[in-house]
Amino acid sequence: MKYIPTIGIECHVQLCTKTKLFSEVDNDARGKEPNSCVSPVDYALPGMLPRLNGEAIRLAILAGRAMNCKINASSRFDRKHYFYPDSPKGFQITQFYHPIIGEGYVDLPSGNRVRIEHAHLEGDAGKLTHFDTYSLVDLNRVDTPLIEIVSMPDIHSAKDAHDYCKALWRLMCFAGVTNGDLYNGNMRFDVNVSIAPEGSDKLGTRAEVKNLNSFRSVERAVEYEIKRQSKLLDAGEKVVQETRGWSDATGETTGQRSKEEAKDYRYMPEPDIPPINLTQEFIDAESAKLPLMPKDYREKFAGIIADDTLEVLLDYPSLMGKLGEVDTRYVKNLSNLFASVLLAEEKSAEYLNDLPTAMELSELCEMNDKKELSSTATKEVFLRLFDPQMKGRGAKNIAKELGLIQENDLGALEAIVDTVLAKPETKKAQEDYRNGEMKVIGFLVGQVMKESHGKANPSAVQEILKKKLA
Amino acid sequence: MEIKREDILHLANLSNFSLSEAEIEKLGGDLQDIIKYISQLDELNTDSVEPTYQVFEMENVWRDDEILVQDANREELLALTKEEKDNQIKVPKVL
Repeated sequence: MKYIPTIGIECHVQLCTKTKLFSEVDNDARGKEPNSCVSPVDYALPGMLPRLNGEAIRLAILAGRAMNCKINASSRFDRKHYFYPDSPKGFQITQFYHPIIGEGYVDLPSGNRVRIEHAHLEGDAGKLTHFDTYSLVDLNRVDTPLIEIVSMPDIHSAKDAHDYCKALWRLMCFAGVTNGDLYNGNMRFDVNVSIAPEGSDKLGTRAEVKNLNSFRSVERAVEYEIKRQSKLLDAGEKVVQETRGWSDATGETTGQRSKEEAKDYRYMPEPDIPPINLTQEFIDAESAKLPLMPKDYREKFAGIIADDTLEVLLDYPSLMGKLGEVDTRYVKNLSNLFASVLLAEEKSAEYLNDLPTAMELSELCEMNDKKELSSTATKEVFLRLFDPQMKGRGAKNIAKELGLIQENDLGALEAIVDTVLAKPETKKAQEDYRNGEMKVIGFLVGQVMKESHGKANPSAVQEILKKKLA
Repeated sequence: MEIKREDILHLANLSNFSLSEAEIEKLGGDLQDIIKYISQLDELNTDSVEPTYQVFEMENVWRDDEILVQDANREELLALTKEEKDNQIKVPKVL
């Protein structure tokens, strides 16, 4: 039988605030010792009270606006109770009843629109590492601010599930609310999948695949679930509503033995955090700080950057930001350098963290425009702009140091051409050219380039040669 | 509303408490009394009353996003736990 899948996705985004959501502790625990970014509040010691980080509210407004969401003027925090060693408080502080971000939508490349049901602020849990007979708890991640984005079940294919997650990643990165480091779990996806026979007006029983941390694993897990559930239904069996785990290695989901019946979170209003009441002026002022989004860049660079190049570059928000800074006439050249030279470099990831200034990049493009640098030399200088040894010296100085500046002075070029034409080893080529063998001009240009130590502008040399041999 | 033995066991399970028979008995009675006391409110018509989330009239209590040195360091905090290992809190196996 043919089935139609229906998919809803919950996405947790780690906010890049300096401190945690409820304590004045370093929020960036990457590469730090376990339990080194903690406070008595994170340990939930008796009498410790949460202190709400205002920056998380500002970032939530930006995140909401990036998804075309309504920002709720009034929102609150609630306690979600559960007992687990990753949470010393015995509850998570979240926004269950009154989230800060209301309804919105995200558009996909397929043209489909995924509605956002709501999104809310909450604190993350600690990290557990399991061993044979015990587990270890690291509280560095306790109360890292998260935004949980809840989509409506508007997705109907594995490809759209992938594209939705990628679109969210881009939106959150361009909005500047997260570091977007998927490898370090900055964004995690929980995917609800159900299938129903084509034409049915009822949804099937859903399974939830939790904790996916890449777009590819979202796509594969959805594909797997559709196949698994179709097989069950075809065999006359039932899909069990449950939480499943995904393994990248096996490419399969498996049921997690969890006490589902124990899900009784006993939500209650968090009494230690007064409500958030935002004025429209505040919401508007914060919303206005939203940087350019992917759709803005598509509009801005339409006809300047080729569509396929632009889609590649949109995966690198810092590069797009840089392109937005330079003069429009250099954007095309620069986008090609970014796409074909930088991203092809093995080290591109580390280069991306520390880009050259817009001025350096403009200077380079200007030299190329004025034919002071050949396209090959432009590529070379471009890469040197990222080189830790050469950084900050400027395109012109680097080009000079490397002896890459082209000779465009016609008088000087003519003298070099004359020298070459006077050499006995070029006589035969000159004769051949005059006899109609046009190809040999390449050889002659090569000789001039050699004589000029590669600094001559080849097209200018060719023109001079043609005139002299006519 | 009657608090049954299963309710007490369910709540104890959610909070990971192990209770003795005597405690189950006593807590059941206490909880029953508390609910009876609170139930007096059922006599009032609260249809037009806004829910009270907070008894103080405070709102928007935020702080700046600046790292502060904490009063207690890692070692002091870890020393409060029952058992530690490799700078982490050691707990019975949970998975």
